[in-house]
Amino acid sequence: MTRQTETPASPVAASRRISAESRRKALLISLQLGLVIAALLAWEFGARSGAISRFLFASPLMIWDVLVQRSGTGELLRDVRATSVETLLGYALGAIGGSVLGLGLWYSRFVSDFAAPFIAAVGSIPVLAVAPMTIIWFGTGLTAKVVIVAFSCVVVSLTTSYRGAMRTDPDFINLMRSFNAGRSAIFFKLIVPAAMPWVLQGLKLNVGFALIGAIVAEYISSDAGVGHMILLGSSNFSMNIVLAGILLVMVMMLVFNFCIGLLERAILRWERK
Amino acid sequence: MAHALEAVGITKSYGASPGGVAVLRDLSFHINRNEFVSFVGPSGCGKSTLFNIITGLMPPDMGRILIDGEDTTGRVSPRLGYVLQKDLLFPWRTVLDNVILGLEIRGIPRREARERAHEVLKSYHMDGYEAKFPGQLSGGMRQRVALMRTMITDPEIILMDESYKALDYPLKIALESELLDVVKKAGKTVIFITHDIEEAVTLSDRVYVMKARPGEIIHEIDIDLGTDSPSIPERRMSPHFNTYYEMIWKKIGIAPMAA
Ligand SMILES: Nc1ncnc2c1ncn2[C@@H]1O[C@H](COP(=O)(O)OP(=O)(O)OP(=O)(O)O)[C@@H](O)[C@H]1O
Ligand SMILES: [Mg+2]
Repeated sequence: MTRQTETPASPVAASRRISAESRRKALLISLQLGLVIAALLAWEFGARSGAISRFLFASPLMIWDVLVQRSGTGELLRDVRATSVETLLGYALGAIGGSVLGLGLWYSRFVSDFAAPFIAAVGSIPVLAVAPMTIIWFGTGLTAKVVIVAFSCVVVSLTTSYRGAMRTDPDFINLMRSFNAGRSAIFFKLIVPAAMPWVLQGLKLNVGFALIGAIVAEYISSDAGVGHMILLGSSNFSMNIVLAGILLVMVMMLVFNFCIGLLERAILRWERK
Repeated sequence: MAHALEAVGITKSYGASPGGVAVLRDLSFHINRNEFVSFVGPSGCGKSTLFNIITGLMPPDMGRILIDGEDTTGRVSPRLGYVLQKDLLFPWRTVLDNVILGLEIRGIPRREARERAHEVLKSYHMDGYEAKFPGQLSGGMRQRVALMRTMITDPEIILMDESYKALDYPLKIALESELLDVVKKAGKTVIFITHDIEEAVTLSDRVYVMKARPGEIIHEIDIDLGTDSPSIPERRMSPHFNTYYEMIWKKIGIAPMAA
């Protein structure tokens, strides 16, 4: 048997392609940064000259001052921590729990068919609609917020991972059967890894939903958290505080997405090869 | 001694039994130990259906499959392994971990399984590829890894359904030569399903010719190319090749073709 040898494209051509690609990337990033800086400058000078209402739109430096001042008093850290804890706990319960349930539904066609309309029904309830009730049931503490966050993620994760599990190629299942694999060997060695891209898809979508859930929960009742900060700011007509809160939410979202991205790269290691 | 595999009166139709389309009707055949037997027939004659029945993945409506005299109808037997056209490698497993899949499921300790897989990879001149993922391999290599995954579980019978259909001609020749070499040395019995008459003649000791609607065996031919060489080009150039090719072609050619 002759050995197959992989012939890579010429290294010169490859490196030229890479440098053209990285130049394009650098251009894109500098244009994007340029736009942001220009907008911030226009906003700041507009606010100073009175062309933009400070009352309605605050200004970049006013927002910056809020962040500096609140980090000095420790409020910033307290709010970010509160929202992060609610989000992470609720996410672990709802998104990860939902993924496990969704995969597990593969085990029984009967149970999954039975549960389908109920899952759809629960999935059709907007989180805003159940949030007040949750406060009545679970009080104004952390528990209610975790429940609200979990509620806002669970159905998406459950349905995407179930769909992923059911999409497994039956020829793979037959191959496992031909090795005399039992249902749990098929589940753990085939279904779970095969559905992993879908599970991760659900987990990624849910980062956003979890954070929305946490902010909504804080709007309903809270004594800390970024949602609390935004709500207070808006009730005092302090747009600088509101906008600083929104900025914090964006940063938290970026950080959470980055972490999920790392997780995805670690799990789908084989896909990049 | 019982045949390596025997099929008795296999009948199968899809859909509601009366009125359903008869796909296989009353197929009976036997495969001897260490024999290489091909089933050749036009598209839609029920070859893959037969494959599923032999593997036990699908029960026939009537009839029985006996492996080594033991009735295995409708259930998978560890004595039989298969290789399909799709290599069915798990993309998230490395080459080494793909090769040991069957051993792992049978509960063989990972260490021992890996040691055996290293040996097998070496004997196929694929040492150095252990840590690669299937996505990094060429189609031919993937198909070879699939064969190793089957061979390492040491089945007595290897069943192949159009396993080399998707490969280009030179690669197909190389892989088939390797297959013949490997199965002859290891003393395996092979059932090879194909629509390719040339492939059937060059590889086989015996060929069953099938027709479509309903799928039936219409002919059985012993092949003797006058050489023991596993080299496909050598076998292909045997002076007897054309005789067999013509014999089978005439059988298939006059059978009504599937639409
Ligand atoms: N699950 C199924 N339900 C209904 N009909 C089927 C099913 N599978 C196959 N058939 C039909 O049964 C007949 C035989 O199919 P089969 O796949 O066994 O043929 P084949 O000889 O393997 O064909 P090919 O050479 O194209 O692979 C075909 O007419 C096909 O359309
Ligand atoms: Mg077929």
